[in-house]
Order: sequence, then structure tokens, then C-alpha cells
Amino acid sequence: MTKQTAYEKPIPLKTPDNHEYWDAADRHELKLQKCSACSTYIHPPGPACPTCGSPEMEWELLGSDITATVYSYIVSYRPFLPGFQHDLPTVITVAALDAAPDVKIMANIIECDPADVEIGIPLKMTWVDVTDDRALPQWVLARG
Amino acid sequence: MATYSNQCAIVGVGENQRSRKSGTTPLHMALTAARNALADAGLDAKDLDGIMNYSTGGDSCPSHELATYLGCHPKYVKDVSGGGSSTELLIADAVALIEAGMLETVLIYRSMNGSSGVQVGRGYDPNMLQEMLPGGSFIMPYGSASPSQWFGMFANRHMHETGITKEHLGHVCISFYEHAQRNPNAFLNGKPLDMETYLATPDISMPFNIHDCCVELDEANAIIVTSASNAKNCKSKPVFIAGMAPRTTHSHVHYWTQVDEVAADHAAADLYKSAGVKPEDIQVASIYDCFSWVVLRQLESYGFAKRGEVGDFVAAGNLKMGGSLPSNTAGGMLSEGYTHGMNNVLELVRQLRHDYKGTERQVKDCELGIATGWAGPDIAGAMILRN
Ligand SMILES: [Zn+2]
Repeated sequence: MTKQTAYEKPIPLKTPDNHEYWDAADRHELKLQKCSACSTYIHPPGPACPTCGSPEMEWELLGSDITATVYSYIVSYRPFLPGFQHDLPTVITVAALDAAPDVKIMANIIECDPADVEIGIPLKMTWVDVTDDRALPQWVLARG
Repeated sequence: MATYSNQCAIVGVGENQRSRKSGTTPLHMALTAARNALADAGLDAKDLDGIMNYSTGGDSCPSHELATYLGCHPKYVKDVSGGGSSTELLIADAVALIEAGMLETVLIYRSMNGSSGVQVGRGYDPNMLQEMLPGGSFIMPYGSASPSQWFGMFANRHMHETGITKEHLGHVCISFYEHAQRNPNAFLNGKPLDMETYLATPDISMPFNIHDCCVELDEANAIIVTSASNAKNCKSKPVFIAGMAPRTTHSHVHYWTQVDEVAADHAAADLYKSAGVKPEDIQVASIYDCFSWVVLRQLESYGFAKRGEVGDFVAAGNLKMGGSLPSNTAGGMLSEGYTHGMNNVLELVRQLRHDYKGTERQVKDCELGIATGWAGPDIAGAMILRN
């Protein structure tokens, strides 16, 4: 039996407001909250729509084929949280979804050389299984 | 819209000795700062009828405790969970309460063991942001826990869009470090910085290296605000509060999906209107400088240089003595020390009182100054002071 290395990084905390997002992530899918009144996507999900204040919301499944564009990014050379000492430098991006550019999803760009990252380059969403029952959405460079 | 019309003034400022390790509590440090501010104003603790303080994550001491050990019983105490715009915003609260006739004289302080206690720059508690904020679960799993990372996301896009370079960030640092060499109480006094050294310093989190980040220390500062009529009874030269503007913008406390605007962009118009002045009238500045880029971004917001020209503005030496906008003349939080914004305001008050007259530290004949607060890209508070 191989000894499992424990996952040291913070695991997303599921709440009544956000669990649909993280439950979908565990199934390697992207699901977004949407306002029923003004049709704006709400990300991160919450108890009401930040655009119009309506408490009437629904969820929309966007599936597993998700592309986006780097809107901004940073590269950290020092860990600020447990577990990241194993993954330096760490690239963190805010990426605009191609299907809905107003929605920007923060995640790491994994398996990349930070020197290859710049604003405007294309990304593809992937999901990393971090425990037996949890998965984390991440970005990888979209290679043409 | 509020008009300030110089009806209140800052009449006392004080601090404790900043250090890496105070060896004491925020209460002890706050008492020292408060006593020094009272002595500066020529007031007695019993003259205070209001005491206010801001803190982050309980890193300070309650106003009521400070009052207790100053030996006074003010009418009003208030402790807020605040940020880098709280100095200005608590002064705004004091002005409102004074103008309403409820209070006469208010002491505002910030006290923190920012080095030996909680160091914000090292990142927040892994569980705290997740539990406290709806956006927390969407940033912590990705390793983003430090203001250098949150603000860096704004900085990198802004630099990409406007042509600001790493050298431009360096000019901000070098200008402020130069001021610190004239201030014996600056933590980095005796440690000047040149561009070669700056550029050779590796980033902690892009685009920031250690010089781009403020110096977190154990510090306490205090400011006393009173009515203009009562200011006449004080021994110090009053510095009048001429204008004020608070502002929030973005949804969420930390999950910012829009990095192209900051709250300061919107505070500026209200600020100048409330004081009846223009950016070109300002002669000395205290620009919130938790990170070098934050200064550049606010120079754009508050109209000191046009978008795209801010880098050239600082490269030309305009933040230095003799420049068009001498800023953070005690060294700023980048090199004097980080009291969460308040120490820059203390310095602005001293400049406007001409406390350094006859020395090379004095911005000659300055009458009008600006203090900008930045709790984040999402929350601003700024004020204009005049002598
Ligand atoms: Zn809505």
C-alpha cells in the first residue's frame, strides 16, 4: 500500500451559497450562479445579485470544455499559504471566460513556465483531484 | 455634499519609537503616542471627549482601555475594523461629530505590533478569509493570501496597459528612501537605495520586491482633532481640515474581477470639490504607500499626472524635495515605517506647520497638502489639509 501524501493547501470551504459551484467542480464541471432578474452571472456565488440586489438566482451548467483569456496575473516566489512551498514560483491569474468575458475566474496556471504567461493569452480549464472527493478547477495554457 | 470649510483642525500629533520588537503591548505604545499628541497640542487627557481607533484582526487595544490609563472618561469611544483609509475616515467621523455639536476634541490612534505580532504582508490566516468572506474560498485554495498578491493583480494589468515599468516603481522607492535619510526616526535611515540595487533585488511576488513593500514594524501614532474655535486654545499651530472624500467601488472584499478601476478614481472629484481646490494647488503630499505601485496608481487617480504619464512624472523626481509634489517626506511606509497610513498624515501635519523650517526637510512655504488613504483598490478615503 502506498502512503498517501496529505494535501497541504487550503481546500475550498463549501457554504450554502457556493456548494453548487464546488460540487460541480468535484465532477470536473463548471457551474455558475446567475441572477434570474437581470441575467448577470454571479461569481463568486453569494446570497443575492451584486449587480441588482435581487435574491432570485439560478444555476447554469457550462460543462467541461471551458476556455478563457488571461486578464491579469501575478507570479509569487514565496509561499503565503501552506503547501505552496512545493509549487514555487506560483502563477495566479484572473481569467476572463471566452463564453462570458465579464466572468473572471481566479486560479493558478499550472504546468507552465511563468515566462510564457502574458496578458491576453488563451487558457483552458482543467480539474485537479486534490483529495478522494474534492477537485479544484485550474487553468493550463491552451496550446494551438 | 459635505463642505468642510476649515471648521475643524488637527492640533496634535504623536508617536512612539518604532522598532522591530517593541517588547510591549499595543496599549503601552498607544499611551505613549497619545501622551505625545496631547503634549504637542498642549491639552490634557481630560480635554478629550472622544477617542477612536482602528485595527485589523484585533491587533490594537480598545479606546476605552486607552482612556482608562490616560485617566479620563470621554463621552464617546469607537473602535473600528479598518484599513489604510481609516485615518482619513475616522477624522471625517470626528469632524462630523464636532460639527454636530456632540463632541469638541477627539483623539484618533493606530497601534500595532506589526512586526513582532501580526504581520499582514506575510498573508492572512488560511481559514479566516474562507470563513469570513464569500470570495475567500475562491482565492485561498490558489495561494493568494497577501496584499502583495491582491494588489499585484491590479498592478500588472495597469503596468501592461499604461507602460509603467519596474524602473518607474523603483523611482518611487528611491524618492522615499531619499526622504528617509533626512529623518532620524525612519527605520531605513542610513540605508539609501539606488536603482542598480533596486533592479538587482528579486521579486517576492511580481511586480514587487522587498523595496516595493512597506516596512512592517511595531508602531503607534495618534492625532487630535478639535473645532477651529477650540484650536485657538492649543499651543500648536492648527492644520485645518479643508476637504474630505470617502469611496468604495468593487463588489467583494477580496475577490476582484475588475482591476481597471480603483476607488481613488472616484474619490478624487469629490475631494477637490469639498475643498474648493485643484490638484495643481497641492504643494505637499502623503500618498498611501503600502506598495510602490499603489503610489503610481493614486497619482493618476488624484490628477497629479495623466494616465500613461505617471511613470515619467516620478522618474523626473517630482516626489522628491524640490519636485512639483514632494511626497511622503518622512520616508513613507516604504522606508519610515508602516503605521497603516497614519504616520504619513503625521508628517503632512508637521510639514504644513513648518516644523522643519530652516532644515532641508521642510517643503518651503507649503500651505496646502493632500493625504490619500487606500484600504485596497476597493476602498479609498482622502483629505486635504491647509495651514
Ligand atoms: Zn441581478
